[in-house]
Amino acid sequence: MNFVKRTKRAGDGAATLLMVVPATVVFVVMLVVPVGLAFYLSLTDWDGYSAQPKIIGGSNYTHLFSDPVMRHAAFVTLLVAVAGTAGMNLLGLGFALLVNGTSRINRFLRVVLFYPHVLSALVVGFLWSAILGTTGAVNSLLTAHGGSVLPFLSDPTWALITMIAVLVWAGFGVNVVLYLAGLQAVPRSLVEAARIDGATRWQVFRHVTLPALGPVVTVNIVLSLVTLLKTYDLVVSLTAGGPAGQTQTVAYLILWNSFHDNRLGFGSAQSVVLMIVTGILALVVTRMRRRGEMAVYS
Amino acid sequence: MRAQHLSRAAVGTVLALALAACGGGGGFSGKSSSDGGDKGTVRMLVNITPNLTQSYWEGLVKPFEQANPGVDVKIEAPTGKTVADTLPQQLAAGNAPDVVETLMADRTLAPQMLDLTDQSWTKGTPLVQEAALGGRIYTVGVGEQAQSLIFYNKTAFTKAGIAQPPTTLDELTQDMGKLKSAGYLPLQTAGDFVTGLQMLQLADPSLAQSHPQWYQDIRAKRLKVGDSMLPYLKLYKSWLDKGYLDKNAMGLKYPDSQTRFFSGKSAMYVMGSWFTASEATAKKDFEVGVFPAPVQAGQKSPGPQGATMAAPYMVLKSTKHRALALKLVQWLVTDKAAVTSQLQQDGNFRKGYDRKFTPLEQQVQQILDAAPSGVPQGEGYGDYTLPSGFNDAWNTQVQGLYVGRSPEKVASAVDEWVSAHS
Repeated sequence: MNFVKRTKRAGDGAATLLMVVPATVVFVVMLVVPVGLAFYLSLTDWDGYSAQPKIIGGSNYTHLFSDPVMRHAAFVTLLVAVAGTAGMNLLGLGFALLVNGTSRINRFLRVVLFYPHVLSALVVGFLWSAILGTTGAVNSLLTAHGGSVLPFLSDPTWALITMIAVLVWAGFGVNVVLYLAGLQAVPRSLVEAARIDGATRWQVFRHVTLPALGPVVTVNIVLSLVTLLKTYDLVVSLTAGGPAGQTQTVAYLILWNSFHDNRLGFGSAQSVVLMIVTGILALVVTRMRRRGEMAVYS
Repeated sequence: MRAQHLSRAAVGTVLALALAACGGGGGFSGKSSSDGGDKGTVRMLVNITPNLTQSYWEGLVKPFEQANPGVDVKIEAPTGKTVADTLPQQLAAGNAPDVVETLMADRTLAPQMLDLTDQSWTKGTPLVQEAALGGRIYTVGVGEQAQSLIFYNKTAFTKAGIAQPPTTLDELTQDMGKLKSAGYLPLQTAGDFVTGLQMLQLADPSLAQSHPQWYQDIRAKRLKVGDSMLPYLKLYKSWLDKGYLDKNAMGLKYPDSQTRFFSGKSAMYVMGSWFTASEATAKKDFEVGVFPAPVQAGQKSPGPQGATMAAPYMVLKSTKHRALALKLVQWLVTDKAAVTSQLQQDGNFRKGYDRKFTPLEQQVQQILDAAPSGVPQGEGYGDYTLPSGFNDAWNTQVQGLYVGRSPEKVASAVDEWVSAHS
C-alpha cells in the first residue's frame, strides 16, 4: 500500500516538475539572464566593443548618484511619471464615464480616444513638434495674427509641460478602455439601489462607482507609472532632451550613454537602478491601493 | 553552507547563460576576420539621409556587383537611431556587418576594425593620415566636408548695406547689427545638434590659430575646453542678448532652420558644405553666398578650415569576406565614377575630381583651396580626439545660454564633463 502511495507521489512530482520546467526555463532565459547580465555589466567598464570588459566594482553606481545630469533626469522622470499618471487617470476615468454607453456616437468616440495610442510615439513626437514648434502650426497662426511666439518647446518649463501633456494625450486611451471595462463590471443593482435611496449622480459615483472601480484604478495607476518611468521615444522625437538637456529622462540617458557615448557599463548601472526604483514604486502603489480597497470593502 | 553552494551555483549559471548569450561572434568575444573567397554577400551598414537613400546606395554599388559576378552587396540601414547606435547592438548580437560607413575609428572602435595601413590604395585618399590612429589606418573616405562656412542671403546683405562679407568676428558682430536694423534675423540657428555644432564651426578657424595644439593640450590637461572656448561663448551670449539670434530657436529642429533660412527671414546660416546639396534643390527668391568663418582681430584670414572626412568607410575585423570587403571599400573610395557620384549626392569635395558644381559649390571649393590647412573640430578624429560624447555634451551646455546660464557657467560645466569622461 505504502509502495503504491510512494509511486503515485513520485509520479505526481515528476508531472509537476515537467509542467513547471518550460515556464521556469522561459522565465530564466527571458528575465533572469538579461537582468543578471545587466547587473554584471553594471559592474564593468564595457564600451560595447571590447572583448574583455574590466570589472570596476561599484564605481558606475558611485558616479551615477553623483552625476548632476543623472539627478536632473531622475527629477524629470519622476515629475513626468507622477504628473502623467495623474493626467492619464483623471482624463481616462473622465472620458470613460462620458462614453460609457452603447450608442453609436459613444462607440465612435471610444475609437477616437484610443486612436493616439495606436500611433508610434516617434510619430506622435514629430506630429506635435510640427504643431507646437517655434515655426509650428500654432505659432504660425499666432504670429500671422500679430501675436508673439509661445515657447512650447524652447523654454525648459514649457517644454516639460508640453512633453507631459503630449504623453498624456498619447497614452490615456488605454486608461479609457480599462476604466470602461471596469465600469461595465459595476453591479447595476447597487447603482439602482443608491438611486432609489435618493443619491445624486455625484453621490452614486463617489460612494458606489468609484469604490467598485478600486482594482481597475490600481491597475491603471501602476501601468501608467511603469510606462511613464520608461519614457524615451517621445523625448527623442519631441524635444531631443532639450532645451539644454532640461527634458532628458532616465531612459533617454540610458540609451544615450550606452549606445552613443559607448558607456554600456554605466548605462547598465542606470538600467539596474531604474528597474529597482520602478519595482519599488509599483509595489508601494499596489500596497497603498490595496489598503485603500480593503478599507472600502470592510 | 549548502545554501551558500546553491546560491553560488545559481549565480554561476546566470552568468554562464549571460555570457553564452553574448557569444556567437559578438559581445565579449573578439573574433578575427577570415576570407570567404571571391564570391558571396558583403553586408554594408550605411547612413540613410534625405540625400543618401537606400535606393541611392543600392544603385551606387550595382556597377561593383556587375563587375564581380557572384558578389552581392547588401545595403543595411541602421536598425537603431543611427549607425553609431546600431553597430554595437549588431556586434553584441554577433551579427556585425562586413563594412560600416559613417563612423570613424577611435580608441574604442579601432580594435574591432581591420588595419588598412598596408593597403597601398589608401594613400592619397582624403584626410587619411589625419584620421590615422597611432599611425595605423582604419578609416578611408571619399571626400572632404568643409565645416566652418557661413552661408548668407545676398539680398539681405545688399539691403543692410554690407558690401563685403566680414573677415573678423568684430566685423561679423557689426554686420549683424546692420542686418537686424534692415529687418532680418541676423543668424539662424536651431535646437537638435545645431546649436553646439554652429558654435564649433564658428570658433574653429580662430581657435586653431590661438591654440594650434588644442587637442594635444586638452588631452595633456595643459588647457581646458571651457577656458579656451569662453571668449566665443561670451560673444555668442552677447549676440543672443542683442537679439541677433532667435531666443525661441531651441523649439526648431535642424530641417526647420534650413527652411527658415530659405524663407528669407534670416540672413546667415552657419553650416558645413553638405548644406550646398540642400541649397541646390531649395525654393527661394534670393541668391545664397558663402564665406569662411571669420577670425579674431589680428589673426590670419582666412583661418584654417574645419574639415571632416566625407563618407568614411571601415572594414570589420570579424568579416568572413575580408578580400571582398576590402575590394568593395577600395572601389568605393578610388573608382572615379563611384567617388564622383558620392561627392555629388551629398555635396562633398575632393581635389582632382571634377563634378558638376553649382555656383555655391564652386565658392566652397575656392574656400577649401584658399584655407591654409584643415583642422578637426569638436570631438575630432584620429589621434586628435576628445572623449566620446563630447559633441553632445557641448551642445547641451551651449543651449544653456538660451535658458539663462552664463558663459562662465557653461564653460565650467563643459570642463567638468571633460574631466569626468577623460
